[in-house]
Amino acid sequence: MTTPAIDTDGLTKRYGSTVALDGLDLAVESGEVYGFLGPNGAGKSTTINLLLNYVRPTDGSATVLGLDPWDDVVALHDRVGILPDRYDTYDGLSARRHLRLVIDTKRSDDDPEALLTRVGLTDAADRPGSSPRGWNNGSRSRWLSSATPTC
Amino acid sequence: MSRSLAALPLSSLPRWFPLARKEARTVLTSKGTWLLAVFVFVFGWRPTYSGWELLGPSMSAGFVQVGVTTLVPLGVLVLSYGSVVGERTSGSLKFALGLPLTRTDVLVAKTVGRTAGFVLPVTVAAVLLGVVGAFRYGLFSPLAFLGVLLATSLYLAVLVAIATAVSAVTTSTVRASGAVVGYFLAFVLLWSQLAVAAYSSLTGRAVNPYDPPADALLFGLLRLSPDRAYRTVTNWILGAGNAGESFTILAIKLAPGQSVNGYAVETAFAGASVPLSLHEVGGVVVLLAWLVVPLWLARYRFERGDLA
Repeated sequence: MTTPAIDTDGLTKRYGSTVALDGLDLAVESGEVYGFLGPNGAGKSTTINLLLNYVRPTDGSATVLGLDPWDDVVALHDRVGILPDRYDTYDGLSARRHLRLVIDTKRSDDDPEALLTRVGLTDAADRPGSSPRGWNNGSRSRWLSSATPTC
Repeated sequence: MSRSLAALPLSSLPRWFPLARKEARTVLTSKGTWLLAVFVFVFGWRPTYSGWELLGPSMSAGFVQVGVTTLVPLGVLVLSYGSVVGERTSGSLKFALGLPLTRTDVLVAKTVGRTAGFVLPVTVAAVLLGVVGAFRYGLFSPLAFLGVLLATSLYLAVLVAIATAVSAVTTSTVRASGAVVGYFLAFVLLWSQLAVAAYSSLTGRAVNPYDPPADALLFGLLRLSPDRAYRTVTNWILGAGNAGESFTILAIKLAPGQSVNGYAVETAFAGASVPLSLHEVGGVVVLLAWLVVPLWLARYRFERGDLA
Protein backbone atom coordinates (compact mmCIF):
# COMPACT_ATOMS: atom_id res chain seq x y z
CA MET A 1 0.00 0.00 0.00
CA THR A 2 1.28 3.49 -0.80
CA THR A 3 1.80 6.17 1.82
CA PRO A 4 -1.43 8.09 2.47
CA ALA A 5 -1.43 11.70 1.27
CA ILE A 6 -2.49 12.78 4.75
CA ASP A 7 -2.06 10.64 7.82
CA THR A 8 -2.75 11.77 11.37
CA ASP A 9 -2.36 9.75 14.52
CA GLY A 10 -4.02 10.95 17.71
CA LEU A 11 -3.56 14.54 16.57
CA THR A 12 -4.50 16.83 19.45
CA LYS A 13 -4.47 20.56 19.99
CA ARG A 14 -5.33 22.26 23.26
CA TYR A 15 -5.30 25.97 23.99
CA GLY A 16 -5.05 26.08 27.75
CA SER A 17 -8.10 24.16 28.90
CA THR A 18 -9.87 24.50 25.56
CA VAL A 19 -9.62 21.39 23.40
CA ALA A 20 -9.59 22.43 19.75
CA LEU A 21 -8.84 19.01 18.33
CA ASP A 22 -9.06 15.75 20.25
CA GLY A 23 -7.09 12.72 19.07
CA LEU A 24 -7.82 12.83 15.35
CA ASP A 25 -6.95 9.67 13.39
CA LEU A 26 -7.37 10.41 9.72
CA ALA A 27 -5.98 8.84 6.57
CA VAL A 28 -6.55 10.37 3.15
CA GLU A 29 -5.24 8.16 0.39
CA SER A 30 -3.28 9.47 -2.54
CA GLY A 31 -5.63 10.39 -5.37
CA GLU A 32 -8.64 10.45 -3.09
CA VAL A 33 -10.94 13.48 -3.21
CA TYR A 34 -11.76 14.21 0.39
CA GLY A 35 -14.48 16.57 1.63
CA PHE A 36 -13.60 17.90 5.04
CA LEU A 37 -16.92 18.97 6.54
CA GLY A 38 -18.12 19.64 10.06
CA PRO A 39 -19.98 22.13 12.27
CA ASN A 40 -18.35 25.25 13.67
CA GLY A 41 -15.78 24.40 16.29
CA ALA A 42 -15.30 20.84 15.06
CA GLY A 43 -11.58 21.47 14.54
CA LYS A 44 -11.42 21.71 10.74
CA SER A 45 -9.29 24.85 10.65
CA THR A 46 -7.15 23.59 13.52
CA THR A 47 -6.44 20.38 11.61
CA ILE A 48 -5.48 22.24 8.46
CA ASN A 49 -3.35 24.70 10.45
CA LEU A 50 -1.56 21.75 12.06
CA LEU A 51 -0.95 20.13 8.67
CA LEU A 52 0.41 23.41 7.30
CA ASN A 53 2.74 24.00 10.27
CA TYR A 54 0.93 27.22 11.27
CA VAL A 55 0.15 25.62 14.63
CA ARG A 56 2.10 23.04 16.61
CA PRO A 57 0.32 19.98 18.03
CA THR A 58 -0.09 19.42 21.77
CA ASP A 59 -0.05 15.68 21.19
CA GLY A 60 -0.07 13.11 18.41
CA SER A 61 1.52 13.35 15.00
CA ALA A 62 0.75 13.96 11.35
CA THR A 63 2.39 13.42 8.00
CA VAL A 64 1.57 14.89 4.63
CA LEU A 65 2.94 12.98 1.61
CA GLY A 66 4.92 11.03 4.17
CA LEU A 67 6.63 14.22 5.37
CA ASP A 68 6.53 15.89 8.78
CA PRO A 69 4.80 19.30 8.64
CA TRP A 70 7.48 20.84 10.89
CA ASP A 71 10.73 18.98 10.25
CA ASP A 72 10.23 18.72 6.49
CA VAL A 73 8.46 22.02 5.94
CA VAL A 74 10.66 23.07 3.02
CA ALA A 75 10.35 19.80 1.10
CA LEU A 76 6.64 19.61 1.84
CA HIS A 77 5.72 23.17 0.92
CA ASP A 78 7.71 22.74 -2.26
CA ARG A 79 5.24 20.04 -3.28
CA VAL A 80 1.89 21.33 -2.08
CA GLY A 81 -0.16 24.36 -3.00
CA ILE A 82 -1.48 26.37 -0.08
CA LEU A 83 -4.43 28.73 -0.14
CA PRO A 84 -4.75 29.56 3.56
CA ASP A 85 -7.82 30.50 5.49
CA ARG A 86 -7.97 34.13 6.70
CA TYR A 87 -4.69 35.12 5.07
CA ASP A 88 -3.62 38.47 3.72
CA THR A 89 -1.33 39.65 0.97
CA TYR A 90 1.34 42.33 1.25
CA ASP A 91 0.16 45.89 1.12
CA GLY A 92 1.74 47.85 -1.71
CA LEU A 93 3.13 44.77 -3.45
CA SER A 94 1.66 44.10 -6.88
CA ALA A 95 0.17 40.77 -7.90
CA ARG A 96 3.09 40.25 -10.24
CA ARG A 97 5.62 40.72 -7.42
CA HIS A 98 3.67 38.36 -5.17
CA LEU A 99 3.84 35.72 -7.89
CA ARG A 100 7.53 36.41 -8.45
CA LEU A 101 8.13 35.82 -4.72
CA VAL A 102 6.30 32.48 -4.77
CA ILE A 103 7.91 31.34 -8.03
CA ASP A 104 11.44 32.29 -6.95
CA THR A 105 11.10 30.77 -3.48
CA LYS A 106 9.77 27.54 -5.00
CA ARG A 107 12.57 27.69 -7.59
CA SER A 108 10.14 27.05 -10.38
CA ASP A 109 10.50 28.56 -13.83
CA ASP A 110 6.88 29.67 -14.21
CA ASP A 111 6.14 33.00 -15.78
CA PRO A 112 3.90 35.34 -13.70
CA GLU A 113 2.39 36.60 -16.96
CA ALA A 114 1.34 33.14 -18.08
CA LEU A 115 -0.10 32.26 -14.69
CA LEU A 116 -2.17 35.44 -14.56
CA THR A 117 -3.38 34.93 -18.13
CA ARG A 118 -4.50 31.44 -17.19
CA VAL A 119 -6.81 32.82 -14.49
CA GLY A 120 -7.84 35.85 -16.55
CA LEU A 121 -6.31 38.53 -14.32
CA THR A 122 -3.70 40.02 -16.65
CA ASP A 123 -5.19 43.52 -16.51
CA ALA A 124 -5.12 43.73 -12.75
CA ALA A 125 -1.48 42.72 -12.59
CA ASP A 126 -0.50 45.41 -15.04
CA ARG A 127 -2.17 48.22 -13.18
CA PRO A 128 0.69 50.08 -11.52
CA GLY A 129 0.80 49.68 -7.77
CA SER A 130 -2.10 47.27 -7.80
CA SER A 131 -2.06 45.11 -4.72
CA PRO A 132 -4.22 42.01 -4.39
CA ARG A 133 -5.23 43.51 -1.04
CA GLY A 134 -7.76 45.69 -2.83
CA TRP A 135 -9.28 42.87 -4.83
CA ASN A 136 -12.40 41.00 -3.97
CA ASN A 137 -12.01 37.58 -2.41
CA GLY A 138 -12.82 35.67 -5.57
CA SER A 139 -10.18 37.42 -7.64
CA ARG A 140 -7.66 37.09 -4.88
CA SER A 141 -8.18 33.39 -4.51
CA ARG A 142 -8.14 32.93 -8.25
CA TRP A 143 -4.89 34.82 -8.39
CA LEU A 144 -3.17 33.00 -5.55
CA SER A 145 -4.32 29.61 -6.75
CA SER A 146 -2.64 30.36 -10.07
CA ALA A 147 0.65 30.22 -8.21
CA THR A 148 -0.09 27.14 -6.17
CA PRO A 149 -0.04 24.14 -8.47
CA THR A 150 -0.30 20.99 -6.43
CA CYS A 151 2.12 18.16 -6.99
CA MET B 1 20.39 45.39 -6.51
CA SER B 2 18.25 42.61 -7.89
CA ARG B 3 19.60 43.29 -11.38
CA SER B 4 23.12 42.09 -10.71
CA LEU B 5 21.89 39.16 -8.68
CA ALA B 6 19.38 38.18 -11.33
CA ALA B 7 22.25 36.66 -13.28
CA LEU B 8 22.80 34.12 -10.52
CA PRO B 9 20.65 31.01 -10.63
CA LEU B 10 18.29 31.03 -7.65
CA SER B 11 19.29 27.52 -6.70
CA SER B 12 22.72 28.85 -5.71
CA LEU B 13 21.14 31.38 -3.34
CA PRO B 14 19.53 30.57 0.00
CA ARG B 15 15.84 29.71 0.01
CA TRP B 16 15.04 32.87 1.93
CA PHE B 17 16.68 35.16 -0.61
CA PRO B 18 13.51 36.12 -2.57
CA LEU B 19 11.71 37.00 0.67
CA ALA B 20 14.73 39.02 1.87
CA ARG B 21 14.70 40.88 -1.45
CA LYS B 22 11.02 41.66 -0.98
CA GLU B 23 11.71 42.95 2.56
CA ALA B 24 14.56 45.14 1.33
CA ARG B 25 12.27 46.61 -1.31
CA THR B 26 9.57 47.27 1.30
CA VAL B 27 12.03 49.22 3.46
CA LEU B 28 13.55 51.08 0.52
CA THR B 29 10.18 52.22 -0.79
CA SER B 30 9.11 53.55 2.60
CA LYS B 31 9.26 57.33 3.04
CA GLY B 32 10.32 56.91 6.67
CA THR B 33 13.56 55.24 5.65
CA TRP B 34 14.62 58.13 3.43
CA LEU B 35 13.53 60.66 6.03
CA LEU B 36 15.87 58.85 8.39
CA ALA B 37 18.68 59.25 5.86
CA VAL B 38 17.99 63.00 5.71
CA PHE B 39 18.21 63.13 9.51
CA VAL B 40 21.56 61.30 9.42
CA PHE B 41 22.93 64.11 7.29
CA VAL B 42 21.27 67.00 9.13
CA PHE B 43 22.08 65.84 12.67
CA GLY B 44 25.45 64.41 11.67
CA TRP B 45 26.93 67.66 10.44
CA ARG B 46 28.54 68.81 13.70
CA PRO B 47 31.79 70.66 13.08
CA THR B 48 33.37 71.79 16.35
CA TYR B 49 36.75 73.38 17.13
CA SER B 50 37.59 70.66 19.64
CA GLY B 51 36.51 67.98 17.16
CA TRP B 52 38.84 69.50 14.59
CA GLU B 53 41.67 69.69 17.16
CA LEU B 54 41.21 65.99 17.95
CA LEU B 55 40.63 64.50 14.51
CA GLY B 56 41.56 67.03 11.83
CA PRO B 57 39.99 66.15 8.47
CA SER B 58 38.78 62.79 9.88
CA MET B 59 36.16 64.84 11.72
CA SER B 60 34.01 64.35 8.60
CA ALA B 61 33.97 60.59 9.21
CA GLY B 62 33.02 61.38 12.81
CA PHE B 63 29.92 63.19 11.53
CA VAL B 64 28.61 59.78 10.46
CA GLN B 65 28.89 58.51 14.03
CA VAL B 66 26.93 61.50 15.38
CA GLY B 67 24.28 61.27 12.64
CA VAL B 68 23.77 57.55 13.17
CA THR B 69 23.44 57.76 16.95
CA THR B 70 20.96 60.65 16.99
CA LEU B 71 17.72 59.39 15.45
CA VAL B 72 18.63 56.16 13.68
CA PRO B 73 18.15 53.78 16.64
CA LEU B 74 14.62 55.00 17.33
CA GLY B 75 13.84 55.25 13.62
CA VAL B 76 14.93 51.70 12.77
CA LEU B 77 13.11 50.29 15.80
CA VAL B 78 9.90 52.17 15.01
CA LEU B 79 10.02 51.15 11.35
CA SER B 80 10.73 47.50 12.20
CA TYR B 81 8.94 46.46 15.38
CA GLY B 82 5.85 45.39 13.44
CA SER B 83 7.67 43.41 10.76
CA VAL B 84 6.60 39.99 12.07
CA VAL B 85 3.80 40.69 14.54
CA GLY B 86 2.08 42.96 12.04
CA GLU B 87 2.06 40.12 9.52
CA ARG B 88 0.78 37.77 12.15
CA THR B 89 -2.11 40.14 12.90
CA SER B 90 -2.98 40.79 9.26
CA GLY B 91 -2.54 37.20 8.13
CA SER B 92 0.19 37.78 5.57
CA LEU B 93 2.50 35.67 7.73
CA LYS B 94 0.43 32.70 6.52
CA PHE B 95 1.36 33.68 3.00
CA ALA B 96 5.08 33.74 3.84
CA LEU B 97 4.94 30.52 5.86
CA GLY B 98 3.02 28.80 3.07
CA LEU B 99 6.21 29.12 1.04
CA PRO B 100 8.86 26.40 1.30
CA LEU B 101 10.65 28.16 4.15
CA THR B 102 11.28 27.27 7.77
CA ARG B 103 10.20 29.80 10.35
CA THR B 104 13.86 30.52 10.99
CA ASP B 105 14.27 31.26 7.27
CA VAL B 106 11.53 33.88 7.63
CA LEU B 107 13.33 35.56 10.53
CA VAL B 108 16.63 35.50 8.65
CA ALA B 109 14.99 36.94 5.53
CA LYS B 110 13.38 39.70 7.59
CA THR B 111 16.65 40.60 9.28
CA VAL B 112 18.92 40.42 6.24
CA GLY B 113 16.46 42.08 3.86
CA ARG B 114 15.50 44.91 6.18
CA THR B 115 19.12 45.52 7.14
CA ALA B 116 20.00 45.90 3.47
CA GLY B 117 17.04 48.26 3.12
CA PHE B 118 18.38 50.54 5.87
CA VAL B 119 22.09 50.24 5.00
CA LEU B 120 21.64 51.70 1.52
CA PRO B 121 19.95 55.03 2.44
CA VAL B 122 22.11 55.52 5.54
CA THR B 123 25.24 54.87 3.48
CA VAL B 124 24.10 57.42 0.91
CA ALA B 125 23.70 60.00 3.71
CA ALA B 126 27.07 59.02 5.22
CA VAL B 127 28.89 59.31 1.89
CA LEU B 128 27.30 62.75 1.40
CA LEU B 129 28.58 63.80 4.83
CA GLY B 130 32.01 62.50 3.85
CA VAL B 131 32.05 64.23 0.46
CA VAL B 132 30.81 67.59 1.75
CA GLY B 133 33.16 67.27 4.72
CA ALA B 134 36.11 66.49 2.46
CA PHE B 135 35.45 69.65 0.43
CA ARG B 136 35.11 71.76 3.55
CA TYR B 137 37.75 70.26 5.89
CA GLY B 138 40.09 68.33 3.61
CA LEU B 139 40.76 64.74 2.69
CA PHE B 140 40.68 61.99 5.28
CA SER B 141 41.65 58.34 5.26
CA PRO B 142 39.21 56.52 2.98
CA LEU B 143 40.04 53.31 4.81
CA ALA B 144 38.90 54.75 8.16
CA PHE B 145 35.76 56.06 6.47
CA LEU B 146 35.06 52.61 5.06
CA GLY B 147 35.61 51.19 8.54
CA VAL B 148 33.00 53.60 9.94
CA LEU B 149 30.57 52.56 7.18
CA LEU B 150 31.10 48.88 8.03
CA ALA B 151 30.61 49.50 11.75
CA THR B 152 27.46 51.48 10.89
CA SER B 153 26.11 48.58 8.83
CA LEU B 154 26.76 46.23 11.73
CA TYR B 155 24.94 48.58 14.11
CA LEU B 156 21.98 48.81 11.71
CA ALA B 157 21.88 45.00 11.52
CA VAL B 158 21.85 44.86 15.34
CA LEU B 159 18.92 47.29 15.54
CA VAL B 160 16.96 45.36 12.91
CA ALA B 161 17.76 42.06 14.65
CA ILE B 162 16.50 43.39 18.00
CA ALA B 163 13.29 44.72 16.45
CA THR B 164 12.75 41.47 14.51
CA ALA B 165 13.35 39.37 17.61
CA VAL B 166 10.85 41.44 19.60
CA SER B 167 8.38 41.29 16.74
CA ALA B 168 8.66 37.51 16.47
CA VAL B 169 7.91 36.76 20.12
CA THR B 170 5.12 39.26 20.77
CA THR B 171 1.46 38.66 19.98
CA SER B 172 0.28 42.23 19.50
CA THR B 173 1.77 45.30 17.86
CA VAL B 174 1.08 47.30 21.02
CA ARG B 175 3.27 44.98 23.08
CA ALA B 176 5.96 44.97 20.42
CA SER B 177 6.06 48.77 20.35
CA GLY B 178 6.20 48.83 24.15
CA ALA B 179 9.16 46.46 24.09
CA VAL B 180 11.17 48.47 21.57
CA VAL B 181 10.44 51.71 23.45
CA GLY B 182 11.66 49.94 26.60
CA TYR B 183 14.83 48.93 24.80
CA PHE B 184 15.31 52.49 23.56
CA LEU B 185 14.90 53.99 27.04
CA ALA B 186 17.14 51.46 28.78
CA PHE B 187 19.88 50.88 26.24
CA VAL B 188 20.01 54.14 24.32
CA LEU B 189 18.78 57.02 26.48
CA LEU B 190 19.57 55.89 30.01
CA TRP B 191 22.28 53.27 29.63
CA SER B 192 25.15 55.24 31.17
CA GLN B 193 23.03 56.04 34.24
CA LEU B 194 21.88 52.41 34.50
CA ALA B 195 25.42 51.05 34.08
CA VAL B 196 26.70 53.45 36.75
CA ALA B 197 23.84 52.49 39.09
CA ALA B 198 24.62 48.81 38.54
CA TYR B 199 28.30 49.46 39.20
CA SER B 200 27.57 51.40 42.39
CA SER B 201 25.25 48.74 43.75
CA LEU B 202 27.79 46.01 42.94
CA THR B 203 30.82 47.74 44.42
CA GLY B 204 29.30 50.25 46.82
CA ARG B 205 31.36 53.01 45.22
CA ALA B 206 29.83 56.26 44.03
CA VAL B 207 30.79 57.49 40.57
CA ASN B 208 31.55 61.08 39.72
CA PRO B 209 30.89 61.32 35.97
CA TYR B 210 33.40 64.17 35.70
CA ASP B 211 36.11 62.03 37.20
CA PRO B 212 35.13 58.34 37.06
CA PRO B 213 37.27 55.71 38.79
CA ALA B 214 39.79 53.68 36.77
CA ASP B 215 37.83 50.47 37.05
CA ALA B 216 37.48 47.92 34.22
CA LEU B 217 34.10 46.83 35.60
CA LEU B 218 32.59 50.29 35.25
CA PHE B 219 33.90 50.83 31.74
CA GLY B 220 32.99 47.27 30.78
CA LEU B 221 29.38 47.74 31.90
CA LEU B 222 29.16 51.06 30.09
CA ARG B 223 29.97 49.56 26.71
CA LEU B 224 27.49 46.69 26.91
CA SER B 225 24.78 48.69 25.16
CA PRO B 226 24.83 48.52 21.35
CA ASP B 227 24.75 52.31 21.21
CA ARG B 228 27.89 52.81 23.27
CA ALA B 229 29.56 49.76 21.71
CA TYR B 230 29.04 51.34 18.27
CA ARG B 231 30.59 54.61 19.45
CA THR B 232 33.48 52.72 21.05
CA VAL B 233 34.21 50.96 17.76
CA THR B 234 33.88 54.09 15.60
CA ASN B 235 35.98 56.21 18.00
CA TRP B 236 38.63 53.49 17.73
CA ILE B 237 38.52 53.52 13.92
CA LEU B 238 38.69 57.34 13.91
CA GLY B 239 41.56 57.36 16.38
CA ALA B 240 39.48 59.58 18.67
CA GLY B 241 39.99 57.58 21.84
CA ASN B 242 38.72 54.67 23.87
CA ALA B 243 35.20 55.65 24.92
CA GLY B 244 31.51 55.09 24.30
CA GLU B 245 30.85 58.83 24.11
CA SER B 246 30.29 60.64 20.84
CA PHE B 247 33.53 61.97 19.37
CA THR B 248 32.40 65.57 19.99
CA ILE B 249 32.07 64.92 23.75
CA LEU B 250 35.27 62.90 23.72
CA ALA B 251 37.10 65.78 22.05
CA ILE B 252 36.20 68.09 24.95
CA LYS B 253 36.91 65.42 27.56
CA LEU B 254 40.39 64.76 26.18
CA ALA B 255 41.35 68.39 25.62
CA PRO B 256 43.78 69.61 28.30
CA GLY B 257 42.23 71.73 31.03
CA GLN B 258 38.66 70.85 29.99
CA SER B 259 36.09 69.05 32.08
CA VAL B 260 32.85 67.48 30.94
CA ASN B 261 30.81 64.57 32.22
CA GLY B 262 31.62 61.48 30.22
CA TYR B 263 33.55 58.26 30.42
CA ALA B 264 36.87 58.06 28.58
CA VAL B 265 39.38 55.32 29.35
CA GLU B 266 42.30 57.65 28.60
CA THR B 267 41.43 60.19 31.29
CA ALA B 268 40.30 57.66 33.91
CA PHE B 269 43.35 55.44 33.48
CA ALA B 270 45.80 58.32 32.96
CA GLY B 271 49.22 57.05 34.01
CA ALA B 272 47.96 53.51 34.72
CA SER B 273 47.93 50.58 32.31
CA VAL B 274 44.60 49.88 30.62
CA PRO B 275 43.28 46.32 31.14
CA LEU B 276 43.06 44.22 28.00
CA SER B 277 39.31 43.73 28.59
CA LEU B 278 38.79 47.40 27.73
CA HIS B 279 40.32 47.07 24.26
CA GLU B 280 38.03 48.78 21.73
CA VAL B 281 37.58 45.56 19.80
CA GLY B 282 35.33 44.51 22.69
CA GLY B 283 32.76 46.87 21.13
CA VAL B 284 32.66 44.64 18.04
CA VAL B 285 32.11 41.59 20.26
CA VAL B 286 29.24 43.37 22.05
CA LEU B 287 27.61 44.28 18.73
CA LEU B 288 27.96 40.73 17.40
CA ALA B 289 26.43 39.35 20.60
CA TRP B 290 23.45 41.71 20.24
CA LEU B 291 23.11 40.65 16.62
CA VAL B 292 22.95 36.95 17.42
CA VAL B 293 21.58 36.39 20.94
CA PRO B 294 18.13 38.11 20.79
CA LEU B 295 17.41 36.57 17.38
CA TRP B 296 18.52 33.16 18.54
CA LEU B 297 16.27 33.33 21.59
CA ALA B 298 13.38 34.61 19.46
CA ARG B 299 13.94 31.84 16.94
CA TYR B 300 13.63 29.27 19.69
CA ARG B 301 10.16 30.54 20.60
CA PHE B 302 9.07 31.41 17.09
CA GLU B 303 9.84 27.91 15.77
CA ARG B 304 7.73 26.28 18.46
CA GLY B 305 4.83 28.70 18.78
CA ASP B 306 1.41 28.87 17.15
CA LEU B 307 1.15 31.44 14.40
CA ALA B 308 -2.47 31.22 13.41
